[in-house]
Amino acid sequence: MAAFGRLAVNIGRTLISQESRRCLNLSSALRIKEIRETRDGKNLIVEGVTIPSPRVPLLVKNTARTGACPVCAAGLDVKHTDVLILSQFLRSDGCMLPRRVTGLCKTQQKRIGTMVAMAQKAGLMPNIAPANSRRDPKRRKDWKKFNTYFDEKTIKAKFV
Amino acid sequence: MGNVSSKNFVPRSRKFVRRNQKSFFQHKHDRKYLTSIMSAVKRAQQWATFARTWHLFDATWQNPFDSAQVIIKHLMGLHKPIYHPMNDCGDHVVVMNSRDIALPGDEWRKRVYFHHTTYPGGASWTLAWELHNKNPTLVIKKAVYNGMDGNLQRRHTMQRLHVFPDDKIPEEILKNISNQIRYLRPVPTRLDHISPEEVENYPKIVDYPKQYILR
Repeated sequence: MAAFGRLAVNIGRTLISQESRRCLNLSSALRIKEIRETRDGKNLIVEGVTIPSPRVPLLVKNTARTGACPVCAAGLDVKHTDVLILSQFLRSDGCMLPRRVTGLCKTQQKRIGTMVAMAQKAGLMPNIAPANSRRDPKRRKDWKKFNTYFDEKTIKAKFV
Repeated sequence: MGNVSSKNFVPRSRKFVRRNQKSFFQHKHDRKYLTSIMSAVKRAQQWATFARTWHLFDATWQNPFDSAQVIIKHLMGLHKPIYHPMNDCGDHVVVMNSRDIALPGDEWRKRVYFHHTTYPGGASWTLAWELHNKNPTLVIKKAVYNGMDGNLQRRHTMQRLHVFPDDKIPEEILKNISNQIRYLRPVPTRLDHISPEEVENYPKIVDYPKQYILR
């Protein structure tokens, strides 16, 4: 029975994953690559169009000739309270984006990741969190409901 | 000294002493005139100098142990030029929002308050978050109490500290307040308290790669 159950779960998973990995998708609202259908007489033309990212006009220009990563090149001293900066490196469920997406250097990726964890523990980004989490930091359990702040000197990843 | 002959030496100060004495009694600024001026201005200044000022301190997102050092200065009158240990010139400090104090790192779990009832087995250890659950004014009160030297004045100085867990301060205390002590660390802003337009229009540091699926 257990084997059957596992088989059923596996089939379900593969089905779901296939759906999410599908190249053509009708709901294109959140994708940078959009699928457009146009009907030309009898022919239905389905094409994938790459839409410019909404961030393009707001992007800080990386002027470093040394090939520095965007955060290093910006010359910013980011703190864990700078939620407007930290939230740019997050998915909607609060997960840190991987380095191949963010394009940061190893040290900055680690530092930003640590500061995101600090900000989440301090309850500064309660709206970027998993769906089942407690959104209001004041309603957390035990010591977690009280205000906490962090010192950026305690982050292990740093430039020597 | 040998060069100065004692016969010709007249102390220069004698002449000045005589003139100064004369001016002291006959000048228009004689004692009577001075007292008539002082009674109006200086007396009020004297009262203001020795009056107890009431200060307000907002403890929202403040470290209680750092803020205790500032509160102690105002409670004891150490910030005044007339301070002297025998001079009773301390002020009142009203602390509001003590429920919203902030501790660094994992100190809510690591800081321990010890108490002993003096009976065998009467020792107890209370974590900071447990104490704050029971009474949200005690952490900052104890920080101030322990920050001062243990002498006979300490308990009298503590009587001038008024801690409130929220912003509900009784009217008879609120009407005395004439100064606010500046915060030590800025209060952080939550992302969900910033308007979506500002979040959207804030300069972006990194862009998504091509064909990236947003989620």
